[in-house]
Amino acid sequence: MATTTATVSISSTDLQPGNTLGISASSTLMQAGLTTGLTQVESGVISLASGVESRLGPLATEISGDAHDIGSYLYICNTATDETYYTEFGIHETVIGRLFAGDWMFIPWNASDDTAELELEAENGAQVIEYAWFNKDFILTAAAS
Amino acid sequence: MATTNATINITSDIASSFPINISNSMTMTKHGVNTGLEETTGLRTKKFTSTTAAVIVEHDELTDDKAHKLYIRNASTDKSNFFYIAYNASAAAATTTETIGKLYGQDWMLMPYDGNTNITVASNGTDTQYLEYMVFADGIVAAAG
Repeated sequence: MATTTATVSISSTDLQPGNTLGISASSTLMQAGLTTGLTQVESGVISLASGVESRLGPLATEISGDAHDIGSYLYICNTATDETYYTEFGIHETVIGRLFAGDWMFIPWNASDDTAELELEAENGAQVIEYAWFNKDFILTAAAS
Repeated sequence: MATTNATINITSDIASSFPINISNSMTMTKHGVNTGLEETTGLRTKKFTSTTAAVIVEHDELTDDKAHKLYIRNASTDKSNFFYIAYNASAAAATTTETIGKLYGQDWMLMPYDGNTNITVASNGTDTQYLEYMVFADGIVAAAG
């Protein structure tokens, strides 16, 4: 069984004056509801054209089983260095947040249907993102016959 | 200006011939500038014993369209239990628009958040679960007196 572990630490000595902030958390990522590790990973480096909506990852119908029940985790980093550049992150047509230059994010992700896909859109300029998606249920699209 | 740093490490042996070791750090900054975030809601812990959806982040306490960061952790240890995490005014479930994912026991997430809609969660069952969460804010709206 493969083992995938995600750890975070968040620290600040001056965000809360008089109270040093120190958060640490670690989780071994498992298949949905089980204590069995994930078995698949898809990763890459992708260029995003400015102002163009792009889908990252599969549609629900490209994920085996009940898409609601998958265990999957997504890491994204925006490699841009211009602080005015950001990539909007959302699900389908709903923007949830803005991943600015140099920022990273890590979320659990489960598609409920094909209109719950992950979308990215670079703003203020083209940007390059790095990503890794850990899961067990992604199936390749059938080849053309 | 405060300085808040967040570091992620992901290790995995899913791919046997190329072990994965992601390590990345970011300094949380305000929208479009290199100025560090200066406000936070503070770290909160909430106990859940039912499936009733609850708003954990009310967007009207935050400035809209900003570079907030949201940290959430399922502090429970049971990998069979989880919370739905949604970007929604009042609901969270598998098919709610927009449910982001399912956060199982010990899992954590850190994502950009624009502050335009509530963050709502729902436990999957009646087992006692604890959720920790904190907004690193790019603007908190002071309540009217």
